[in-house]
Amino acid sequence: MRDRHGLAALFIMPAIFILVMSLALANSFSGQQEARLAYAVLDLDDTPVSRALDTLLGNTDLLDKSASPSSEADARLRVRAEEAAFVLVIPQGFARRIGTNQTPELRFLVDPAVPAIMRNGFRQYVDVAVTRVWLTHVLERLGQSMMLPELRRITEHIGSPEITIESVGSHDDAAVAVPSSVQQNVPAWLIFSMFFVVIPISAVFIGERQRGTLQRLRSQRVPFGLVLAGKFMPFVLVNQIQALVMVAIGRWLVPLCGGEALTLPGSAPAIAALMTLSLAVSIAAVGWALFIASLARSSEQATILGGVGNILMGAIGGIMVPRFVMPAAMQPWTRISPMDWALEGFHQVMLRQGGIADVLPAVCALVCFGLVALAAAVFFNHRAAST
Amino acid sequence: MIRVEDLRYRYRSEAPPALDGVSIDIKRSSIHGLLGPNGAGKTTLISLLAGLFTPQEGRITLDGASLGDWRAKRPSAIALVPQDYAFYPMLTVAENLSFFAGVQGVPQRERQRQCAEALAFAHLDAVANQRAEELSGGLRRRLNLAIGLTGKPEILLLDEPTVGVDPSSRRFLLEAVRQLAEAGNTVLYTSHYMEEVEAVCSEVSIIDHGKVLLAGPIEEVKRDRALEQVFMELTGYSLRD
Repeated sequence: MRDRHGLAALFIMPAIFILVMSLALANSFSGQQEARLAYAVLDLDDTPVSRALDTLLGNTDLLDKSASPSSEADARLRVRAEEAAFVLVIPQGFARRIGTNQTPELRFLVDPAVPAIMRNGFRQYVDVAVTRVWLTHVLERLGQSMMLPELRRITEHIGSPEITIESVGSHDDAAVAVPSSVQQNVPAWLIFSMFFVVIPISAVFIGERQRGTLQRLRSQRVPFGLVLAGKFMPFVLVNQIQALVMVAIGRWLVPLCGGEALTLPGSAPAIAALMTLSLAVSIAAVGWALFIASLARSSEQATILGGVGNILMGAIGGIMVPRFVMPAAMQPWTRISPMDWALEGFHQVMLRQGGIADVLPAVCALVCFGLVALAAAVFFNHRAAST
Repeated sequence: MIRVEDLRYRYRSEAPPALDGVSIDIKRSSIHGLLGPNGAGKTTLISLLAGLFTPQEGRITLDGASLGDWRAKRPSAIALVPQDYAFYPMLTVAENLSFFAGVQGVPQRERQRQCAEALAFAHLDAVANQRAEELSGGLRRRLNLAIGLTGKPEILLLDEPTVGVDPSSRRFLLEAVRQLAEAGNTVLYTSHYMEEVEAVCSEVSIIDHGKVLLAGPIEEVKRDRALEQVFMELTGYSLRD
């Protein structure tokens, strides 16, 4: 408890991480995109059809419409000046081509800094709007020529369907928490920081080895199991306190700083599942830390091995980049990371309201990982002691 | 009597032997000096006596019993005092003493008594509640020795116990070693300081390349010469090389 630097690494760093990441990603998860992209429409056709398309595009709260440019040159200037991410150019003859059933042509002027995913999203949005304008136009003309007023009425009702989104929990009666950034970030960065127990443990362990303290203990016939238990138990406890502090930060500090509060499951089985999972993560993290400390010959080596190992586990395990964002070929690889097992377990409880049974696979995998790492630590220490 | 007979040890099968047929007799309640240049095999011999390694060939007996059997009866009877500060710098002096007594299974009340005795012996009472990392080099050496006294050992293996201390702390430590022998403890003492060995040891063994070059009472070994001269003639090294 007197290793202030070690404690700072375990508590302050992840606390800042959780706070910053929860606030920075708040809008991405809530859907309230405050930093919306701006677009403009250069209507060179200036017909009722092109104006209808312009109006239809304005019916969204995902994009900000900026004033129409006066010319294509002006449009290009606006894109270069980052005043608009997209400018849709409706060329002359757009309405005529729709009227004669020719394929209408449109052009986008796009800021190259805009991610491809947003570019494609805007393109699809325009595609749908053009289809609606075209359909309305065709039905209107059909209704006029066939003297069918109901066709005209149909065109008045062409609109977007009302879509409701339901999050599906582990059980039918589970009240599912809305996945906010804090709900996603607290478990992810908590797991990541719990594995960083490797830094203080290896500092203590390698220090003991280098100073001859381990030799002294061995000469006093202190069983190595007791030496390991002397590290294992206190650091598991520190890890558990760390988990409590991080959850408290998500619950009370993040809202004070303007973010959303972490929603914790209310039922006793869910709380029990969370506690079991947290203990399993500690066993895995401390086992891993003792393995690294036994393998490394110096604190520097342990910091590199443990640090890089953790970053790799975090990167592969969906801590830094969510699994669903990864390329399909890479997604199965997330399963090899203990951090992925832990994250999956936390999501089962915190997002899907699961219980003990739902986190059992993750708990078993993490405990097995911790015990295997511990066995490897014993092996490496035994080997080092005899040379 | 601690008897080391024809002891051989290699760290790897293809490596040259660290100990190559070492035989030494160490009388009980004496201070036996172990001299040798770096890499001579001193640390390997101390490690074998401390039970850190198992002899590959040869044997170690104490009062006629094998080291293993003897230690099984008296687990705390041999104490190793390593050359480095083998304690926890973030714990206080008293906490370190209590910890090392505790891991040897010394009961709580006895532990308190032993810690108080060790503090008094090493003159560390005034800094008992100070963190070990805040102590001077001399006080750290005293703590290193005091920890070796927890568990009431009969045999002390002191590896360079005065490295890096000022003359007054060295004097204190040498006097403490003498007192330990007078109290009945057996001390195996390695040092690079010839004058220390001459001052405190009654017997000496000079080893190099894993072999004992000369052993016996210090006056017999010296034969009216300086110990350093004997050492240099035998090993070709200055002791501090």
